[in-house]
Amino acid sequence: MRNRLAPLVDALKSWEAVLVLILLAVIAVNSRIAPGYFSVGNQVNLFVLSIEKIIVALVMTLIIINAEIDLSVASVMGLAACLMAYLYANGVPMPAALLIALLTGLLAGLWNGFWVSYVRLPSLVVTLAGLIGFRGLALVFVEDRSIGNFPEWLNRLGQRPLVGPFPLALLVFFVGAILTVIILHFSGFGRLVYVIGNSAEVARYSGVQVRRIKMTLFTVSGVVAALAGLLYAARLGAVRGSTAQGFELDIITMVLLGGVSIFGGSGTLWGVLLSILIILNLRNGMGLAGFSAHVQTGVIGFLLILSVLIPNLAAAVRERLRLRRLARGERLATTPETPV
Amino acid sequence: MSAPILELRGITKSFPGVQALEDVDFRLYPGEVHALIGENGAGKSTLIKIMTGVYQPDRGEIRLEGRPVHIHNSQEAQALGIAAIYQEPMVFPDLNVAENIFISHQDRGRWVRWGKMYADAEAILGQLDVRLDVRQPARGLTLAAQQAVEIAKAISLKVRVLIMDEPTASLSAHEVEQLFQIVRRLRCQGVAILFIGHRLEEVMRIADRITVLRDGRLISSAPREQVTVEGVIRDMVGRTIEEFFAKKTVARGDLLLSVRGLSKAGVFHDIHFDLYCGEVLGFAGLIGARRTDVALALFGVEPADAGQIWFAGREVVIRSPAEAQRLGIAYATEDRRKLGLITPMSVAANITLPTLPRYLSRLGLLRRREEAAVAEDFRRRLSIRTPSVRTEVGKLSGGNQQKVVLSKWLNAQPRLLILDEPTRGIDVRTKAEVHHMIGELAAQGLGIILISSDLPEVLAMSDRILVMREGRQMGIFSRAEATQESIMTAAMGQNRVAEAAAMAEGGRS
Amino acid sequence: MNWLRRRFQPEQIRELVLVLLIFALIGLFATQIPNYFTARTFNRISTSVAVIAVVAMGQTLVVLTRNIDLSVGSIVGVTAYVSGRVIMAYPEMSPLLIVLVAVLLGAFLGAFNGVMVAYGRVPAIIVTLGTLAMYRALLVEFSGAKSVITNLLPQWIIDLSRLNAFTVGELQVRLLVVIAVVVVILAQLVVTYLPFGRRLYAIGSNPEAARIAGFPAQRIVFTTFVISGALSGLAGFMFLARFGNITVVAAQGMELESVAAVVVGGVSTFGGIGTPVGAFLGAVLIDMLQQSLIRWLAISEFWRDALLGLLILLAVATDAVIMSRLRALWARHELRVEPTPVQKEAGHA
Repeated sequence: MRNRLAPLVDALKSWEAVLVLILLAVIAVNSRIAPGYFSVGNQVNLFVLSIEKIIVALVMTLIIINAEIDLSVASVMGLAACLMAYLYANGVPMPAALLIALLTGLLAGLWNGFWVSYVRLPSLVVTLAGLIGFRGLALVFVEDRSIGNFPEWLNRLGQRPLVGPFPLALLVFFVGAILTVIILHFSGFGRLVYVIGNSAEVARYSGVQVRRIKMTLFTVSGVVAALAGLLYAARLGAVRGSTAQGFELDIITMVLLGGVSIFGGSGTLWGVLLSILIILNLRNGMGLAGFSAHVQTGVIGFLLILSVLIPNLAAAVRERLRLRRLARGERLATTPETPV
Repeated sequence: MSAPILELRGITKSFPGVQALEDVDFRLYPGEVHALIGENGAGKSTLIKIMTGVYQPDRGEIRLEGRPVHIHNSQEAQALGIAAIYQEPMVFPDLNVAENIFISHQDRGRWVRWGKMYADAEAILGQLDVRLDVRQPARGLTLAAQQAVEIAKAISLKVRVLIMDEPTASLSAHEVEQLFQIVRRLRCQGVAILFIGHRLEEVMRIADRITVLRDGRLISSAPREQVTVEGVIRDMVGRTIEEFFAKKTVARGDLLLSVRGLSKAGVFHDIHFDLYCGEVLGFAGLIGARRTDVALALFGVEPADAGQIWFAGREVVIRSPAEAQRLGIAYATEDRRKLGLITPMSVAANITLPTLPRYLSRLGLLRRREEAAVAEDFRRRLSIRTPSVRTEVGKLSGGNQQKVVLSKWLNAQPRLLILDEPTRGIDVRTKAEVHHMIGELAAQGLGIILISSDLPEVLAMSDRILVMREGRQMGIFSRAEATQESIMTAAMGQNRVAEAAAMAEGGRS
Repeated sequence: MNWLRRRFQPEQIRELVLVLLIFALIGLFATQIPNYFTARTFNRISTSVAVIAVVAMGQTLVVLTRNIDLSVGSIVGVTAYVSGRVIMAYPEMSPLLIVLVAVLLGAFLGAFNGVMVAYGRVPAIIVTLGTLAMYRALLVEFSGAKSVITNLLPQWIIDLSRLNAFTVGELQVRLLVVIAVVVVILAQLVVTYLPFGRRLYAIGSNPEAARIAGFPAQRIVFTTFVISGALSGLAGFMFLARFGNITVVAAQGMELESVAAVVVGGVSTFGGIGTPVGAFLGAVLIDMLQQSLIRWLAISEFWRDALLGLLILLAVATDAVIMSRLRALWARHELRVEPTPVQKEAGHA
């Protein structure tokens, strides 16, 4: 009996269970302070305001589990958006501009992937260079202007519901989330992502083509970031050089809060999806309560630190208790002998 | 003899499900080299960790110079004059030799006086008769040199008890001799040395006293003069050792692998041999003979830069493990924890890792049931002792981990299987099982390369034995020609044998 | 070859190359940009470098221990803003006291990072990613969206940025620049001559070994974060002096700029390798490039970040390919144990 319950007990002790509790707490508070909280409009809106970030967070999860990081995603978003706007403003038909922007994302991903997998530079530095460099390229196209006046169909796609109450970007996220869950948790590729995240050396000695997997991840990250950038541009209706600046930190926070180890090899997409829901609801509730976006980010930053600190503290306390128990046990064991 | 410097009384320690140490009494005297031996899992490392404060004993006490002490961590141990040196030394590669010696010192003034530090470091190394450029970074030091640096550090901290945990495991014969010379110097200076070793021949040469642990209990402790190798082995194993399982000779099959003039600059040179199906080719040699490097070249991890390889009748170029695997070559590494297994993942996931595509549907999804079935099959066939194939590999014992590594490669159904130290650090029973398995695989027609530093094992299991020394092939011996003496002579080189013998003599006087 | 090995460390060769590169670029810009070789250019670039160099010194110490401090930009912003408000409120207050306020506030913010990393065992990238957002949020809350404006500041702080320490020929060296150079020299002395400094290298070089080596590794890591915070506080004051106008987004992104300077300067993100002087040269190179590209008419000023990204990548790639070879070359040596005469040993026993 106890054995059959063991998996259930483990599940309850897991990080995901903690996240569910936090999420429920946030939702409970939100529903108290904001009357319209449960309305479909608010629920959709809550997603839409951060939709581009959470799309990118899906791929970021795979990259961090693989023991790498991609700091350049926000700059790739900006680059794709700016390039698209620049091309369109210079007479390139919009579909072609979108395609070229996506291809640029692909190239950016290949570029990062090349330095990480083939030259074996640390991804932190490579993508830091990408963060600065790709943003710089975006500036080359738009300089200090703001470019808008996109065709009406693009704006509509970005801003209006497409199916039922859901706009295109939200549908992209739903499909992306399902696909990522399948890939990470049910496919051979996902298995290899975990294996490499745990030990790239063991993977290589087992005949796994480590470089190919890393390359694939960075390339996909580039394309998805570009797609997210285009969706963002369509939603805002205009771009400038600073479009999506600083998004990388929010995206990484979502992944890490979801229980993915920064050292790779562990964490689940379920955790990340829960953490996304927490962050979105927290932002939504705080927004409704009148806190500024900066303060919202600050609270989430604090939550991020706590998410690692609390398990560490819990482990330390458990260890101390164990030692105390041992010490007590020792005293019990030795007491009968003392009279001698 | 004088009073013991360190005394353990009735030390008992258990972990969940394991009685690691039971009522162990142990004394260490100044100026003696005390060898502690026992099979894996006998409790040696637990005992060391208790002496250095990493673990606290459940019961029993530690006395230092007659006074009871409680050691809570390695800093406290160090303050009491107890230091440990491990198989893989803990040096700081970016600091130079002198800094590595003095980095932990609290009493060298408020700022670093570089000139004085270099002079002091040279003086300490001089005490040990070690010549090493103290201004060079520790990066790139050989393991032996790193150990010398750690010993110098221990001495500079006025260490009175030095624990050496299998320090010779990865040293070449020449380096072992250098290390022993340092150990003898320390002994003269009155340091008490606890020497944990696996190779009996070395232990017999260096130790003044030999203590045997088995299953957490102290079995025997006697001066070196009073013990024999046979007696020690009996104490370790608990019974007289059975004969090695000897491989049956199988009719030679087709030619499987031909290697001609295989070389890698600065590593190995002009390796040439043939391997037939159904044959076990032993690779003998000392540590540092570069046998593993030849294996890594054949498996594509570190490809050779010259020479030809013919596999199953055609010339091949192997540039990566993936390519090697596609040809039907498997390599079970000697370092299972770092290179062989993903320890936080399940037994099943580890077994199917090299052959993952087989367990994928057309859409690339994992077929977990088939994966589990295959793992279950291996669990039964190799009697892997694990609660389930879903258990994390890291939770299994060394022997069972080794069986997982073997399963992983057997499942790839290779034609050539390279086994690198397949029985190192595993218990006697598993060892016999592995030997049996090697024989069976050869009988099924696999070609097997067996790299092993355990000479009796190589002699018993191999059809032919290739001997290497310092990257060169010294010869191939048929079963009839191969004896302990002929192999050792080739492995050490004639003059080296004489040299080592002379040195051993010198130490004994 | 051998005298070269004994004379120089690979790091010094790398720093020499950086210096040559800086002079080569100055030469290039001088031919391309009209009126480049002037005292004004020197002033603009040197005061700009001063702020980032001070931040980069703290970052260097942290990165040497195989950690990272992403919160420095926010700390600079907070301290610049707070010290600005303090000056506005107490115009009579002594300048030194205000610097002290900025430094202490920075140190306090850094201490929070330090506690979390060293004692809470939370990875530095997570802690400082969190405080990057938290400190900025505190600033926004505290300011109530009001900015510090030059007009409301006392005259001395506005003059401070133009205050000369001394003059070399035509070149005027500003006080801010002197402060930065002093900080760099101090940092270099600390890592060369203090046991504390050497242990930074030890920790970054092998954190596992440092944990059991018998020196207080946790306290040292904690201290580096405090120093990084304190130097960011100093930089915050300098930032205030330089710009006067401080909004809630002041110094945003400086964390990445400082990491870039440190990396270009040859400090390894894996810790244990690099020097403050190198990081300073990295800061000079990056900032000089940025400030000069704005003036170079042949190339749109908007190219500068794209080029900067490329520069960082090339710097690191060079490290990976060339420097690791050099270090291996420098590290080649072997152990010799002199055979002990048997008599000597027997005599002792």
